[in-house]
Amino acid sequence: MALNLEDYFLPASLQEASTLLQRYGDGAMVVAGGTFVHGLEVRGLLTETVALVDISRLGLRGISESGNGGVSLQALTTLAEVGAAPLISRNPAFGSIGDALQYPPRQILNVGTVGGCVAAAAPLYDLPAAFLALDGQVQASLAARQRAIPLNDFFVGLFESALQRGEIITAIELPAPAARSASAFLKLETNANDLSILNVAVRLTLDKDGKCADSRVILGGGVGETYVRATSAEAALRGQTAGEASFAAAAAAVVDDFEAVEDHRASAAYRRHIAQVYVRRTLGTALARLG
Amino acid sequence: MKTIELLINGATHEVSIEADETLLQVLRNRLDLTGTKKGCDSGGCGCCSVQVDGKVVYSCMMYAAGAAGKAITTIEGLGSGGTALDPLQQAFIEAGAVQCGYCTCGMIMNASELLATTKNPSEDQIRHAIAGNLCRCTGYTKIVDAIKLAATRTAG
Amino acid sequence: MSLIGKSPERPDAFDKVTGGKAFPVNVKVPGMLHAKLLRSPYPHARILSIDTSAAEKLAGVKAVLVPSEVPKRKFTPVYFVPANAGSMVQDMLIMSDTVRFAGQPVAAVAATSLRIAEQAIELIEVEYEELPTVFDPEEAMQPGAPQLHDHATNNVAVNPVMGFGDLDKGFAEADHIFEGVYSSHRVHTCYMEPRVCIVDCDRQGNFTVHSSTQHLFGLREKLAFALEIPESKVRVIKSPYIGGGFGGKLDMGYIEPIAALLSRKTGRPVRIEQTRHEDFITTARHPIKVYLKTGVKKDGTFTARHAKSILDTGAHATHGAEVINVHGVFGLLMTYRCPNSKWEGYTVYTNNMIGGGYRGYGSPQACFAAESQIDEICEQLQLDPIEFRRKNAWHAGEPHPMVQGLTLDSYAFDECLQSGAERFGWSKRKKADSGKGTKKRGMGFACQPLWVSGCIGFPDIYEHSGAIIKLNPDGTADLATATMDIGSGQITTLCQIAAAEIGLPMEAVHMVQNSDTTTVPVDAPTHASRATYSSGNAVQAAARTVRERLLMVAGIMLDISPDQLSVVDGKILVKGAPKRSLSVAEVVTRAESPFVQHGANGPAPTTLEEKGTIIGVSSLAPKANPSPVSVEFVEVEVDTETGVVQVLRVVYAHDLGKLIHRNGAEGQVEGGFQQGMGYALMENLQFDPVSGSCLAADFLDYKMPTAVEMPRDIQSIFIESNEPSGPFGAKSLSEPCITVPAPAIANAIYNAIGVRIRELPITPEKILAALGKL
Repeated sequence: MALNLEDYFLPASLQEASTLLQRYGDGAMVVAGGTFVHGLEVRGLLTETVALVDISRLGLRGISESGNGGVSLQALTTLAEVGAAPLISRNPAFGSIGDALQYPPRQILNVGTVGGCVAAAAPLYDLPAAFLALDGQVQASLAARQRAIPLNDFFVGLFESALQRGEIITAIELPAPAARSASAFLKLETNANDLSILNVAVRLTLDKDGKCADSRVILGGGVGETYVRATSAEAALRGQTAGEASFAAAAAAVVDDFEAVEDHRASAAYRRHIAQVYVRRTLGTALARLG
Repeated sequence: MKTIELLINGATHEVSIEADETLLQVLRNRLDLTGTKKGCDSGGCGCCSVQVDGKVVYSCMMYAAGAAGKAITTIEGLGSGGTALDPLQQAFIEAGAVQCGYCTCGMIMNASELLATTKNPSEDQIRHAIAGNLCRCTGYTKIVDAIKLAATRTAG
Repeated sequence: MSLIGKSPERPDAFDKVTGGKAFPVNVKVPGMLHAKLLRSPYPHARILSIDTSAAEKLAGVKAVLVPSEVPKRKFTPVYFVPANAGSMVQDMLIMSDTVRFAGQPVAAVAATSLRIAEQAIELIEVEYEELPTVFDPEEAMQPGAPQLHDHATNNVAVNPVMGFGDLDKGFAEADHIFEGVYSSHRVHTCYMEPRVCIVDCDRQGNFTVHSSTQHLFGLREKLAFALEIPESKVRVIKSPYIGGGFGGKLDMGYIEPIAALLSRKTGRPVRIEQTRHEDFITTARHPIKVYLKTGVKKDGTFTARHAKSILDTGAHATHGAEVINVHGVFGLLMTYRCPNSKWEGYTVYTNNMIGGGYRGYGSPQACFAAESQIDEICEQLQLDPIEFRRKNAWHAGEPHPMVQGLTLDSYAFDECLQSGAERFGWSKRKKADSGKGTKKRGMGFACQPLWVSGCIGFPDIYEHSGAIIKLNPDGTADLATATMDIGSGQITTLCQIAAAEIGLPMEAVHMVQNSDTTTVPVDAPTHASRATYSSGNAVQAAARTVRERLLMVAGIMLDISPDQLSVVDGKILVKGAPKRSLSVAEVVTRAESPFVQHGANGPAPTTLEEKGTIIGVSSLAPKANPSPVSVEFVEVEVDTETGVVQVLRVVYAHDLGKLIHRNGAEGQVEGGFQQGMGYALMENLQFDPVSGSCLAADFLDYKMPTAVEMPRDIQSIFIESNEPSGPFGAKSLSEPCITVPAPAIANAIYNAIGVRIRELPITPEKILAALGKL
């Protein structure tokens, strides 16, 4: 038995939820879709938890344009709802999001939430890698205070984020993509219901000459305690003509950007190899999306 | 223990539960709705699939307290009673999609969502839709056949 | 006969699509307690002390069981052999104070709820003395390695050696000699329904047992033996069906005897259901390392074969004592004709989990070695791999290579090879590694040329079956048998055989639900590809008696000799006089009617001979053990950058004697391929190399193919060689379906990329390493 749970709360307001979280401190866990919490429970990692705070009654659902072409995804929007949103699927800049949502089974897509997969702070999840590639930021609320945290600063360690006690994610915001931007995502899995052995999300922004004006290369899965931004790979792309040669250079550079995990699911050498292949392939997909 | 109300297959059930009980545990152990099966208890096999507000979910990963007030549909709520079956149930029988049968109810609950949202799904769509449900007997071939058969009938 | 070979609706399907009520996991008994096992975290240890006082004080705890309380008679838990079988090793106790694998139960608690039982086992204090461990069987065989059992020198539990001819002469005659080492890993059957049992002991010591088992009578015998009580004190209730077995429920677990002892202690029924993690450490296919040396002539004729197989049986011998023989005989020694052969098997104890039964029973490990090496030989000698196998094959009419006194009456290897190759388009196969681009395609095939339809002829293995069929006045029949339907369709095929033999429509035959060991004849387990053939023969025999009796009564009613009558689709037909027909219902009603009946003219007697239930009972062993034959062709695509293999299509050809249920037979092939492909490419039950603990908590850690990874195109070709000893000519199907995929895939991968992987599973990493890319 994993839980020594005393109570399961269904707060009706953010304020009430924050108060509960503050009261129980480390003894409380937030439940949105519940899949992450249950995964911890099964592995005996929730023995200290005495209260679950289910925030699914708080609304916080929906996807909207944020004026300048950016998109705001409210925290309790399900993965299935994100996948079905035209605002996401019609924009090649957000291609990595659509890609990432191709992998989970329906039962996860239907309950897993945008905020939940970010708050979990486990690099095994797919969607946050895509958000990182898109320079997303977290909107978090604590009592009356609302603040924005760039995703780049959000992931502190395994299961550790920049959220303070009682603070709850209310939305993920993606800035308006620059013109001529596209993104893509790939995940290495053993079967179609798996956590990432390794995943790669990239975003490519070209200038008018077809050169890489900007890029993001993000690695997840067995890459350490947090997602990794592959800055060497990004550097290899900068100013180069987007194409096989620069993509190969970025792929070659990516091995300098992370320390691959060695475990029973894959060796470090294999993860390093796949990171290179996937960086090249995702960049190729992103470029193809730019037509 | 606390008392909650669950809306299952159109009927309201008042149940007393422990805080950490999953929907699966409540369905099987407190309400004798044994069509929903436990295969792994950790969201990996799909035997426990039910629908909540029309969406297929793993009932082993959903806390019962969180399911209160939502419309839950289990295999017992499919079809119209007696020998009248849902087209999917009928198709599973006809296509030979049932062997040991332990995964069957979860598989049908999953496919039922697919057919409600997608007319005439392609083979690829079907296979991806049921990727969260494991079957060890059939190799999935006849399960895919059954879903196609039901899709043809419901679309036509 | 019209029913045979069709696909009538499965009688159990309606219940299974509407809620599947009849699984053992759903059984509830009033007043039942829930028990939980405390399992050792250490792989090898001596228990110094156990303090259960805190657990006993917890409210709701009704009993605690520790090793000192269990009977001291050692047993083998394997169902299909006598408890004292000389070929097996009796090395287990219900609970022992020596721990030999991580996860071995060391105490158990029965409580009023599972939650309390779970809390209680956390309160039990066990003091262990850790002992040195050994996890590798070849290390375990070395002098000085930690010893697991006093009776097994160098940890070798059994060491069968068999052969014939003159090995030295055979190798001297060879033009070429090939040697290779082929290794396989531990995989789980992944039955979807967990192992579960409820045992209820009454005040006179009679035990009533519900269990998710493949064998009613095996559980009765093993439980009685372990508890040291007479068999009649144990009654095992047959579940109408169980949620899969695949060999994984072919032995008594720890849970049944522990539940029994807890029930005896408490006087209440005790239920134990395993978690998925517990199931993972309960049974698995044994890893076997095969050293295979083969001599061939230039033309591809075998001159000599020598094989040595090392099987990791884990903490106890159990199935490992028998799997090794099936592996050696049917996988290596006898698969093809070779005049000079020798095989040595070693079943070796280690501190790993105990291996179990798994569909194929030693054959997948051997077939991977043998069929991979044949392709290596053909590749190097530039021989046609189909012709090579044909040249070395057995033929119909020859003596059975293994079982004295039997012949291969039906044996259609050639037809399987030919029809499979044609349907598949084998002639289009290209040279190895001739594809261009990142993704390369390849074709391969593999064969299981010799297998069983049960266990007649093999030492110590039960094989008889029985059935009771009785007719009802409404014209239906009840069929009762101990044969378990483990998902592979026994309810359907046995009802079909009964219906076809008597002459009833399929829907008129009902399988009796919840028979038990007191009401039906003894039956061997549903295993060894035997049920259609062996149980089918018993059902057919009982049905024949029913039909004879039916015609006798009908003959009296019609005043005509029974040999002028036949039964077709529920009607008794008179030769040459179609209008005189009777329904089966009329005949049975007459047989069941009172002797003197009051008619229009007052009371009148009928005849005495016609009175009584029309019933047929059989209990018999089959006359033979015919060999099925199977050949499987696959096409794969290998991504040479990621190492990921996708199987694109499959053609499977199998000589099954006679097809009984087409849809069910296809299901065996398709499901077998899922398991075989998982074995070949991804499934792997892994353990921490230091602590020995199982790394698989659930299906996130143990990966099997989903619908996405499976090939879209699996075609089955059934060759009907008409086996004279089988029901309607049938022999067996199930196990070769799972044996051939791994070598077929390995051979196809070689054809795609020109590298040979001799170690299962063939993961993307191994492919990239073999390609020199890692």
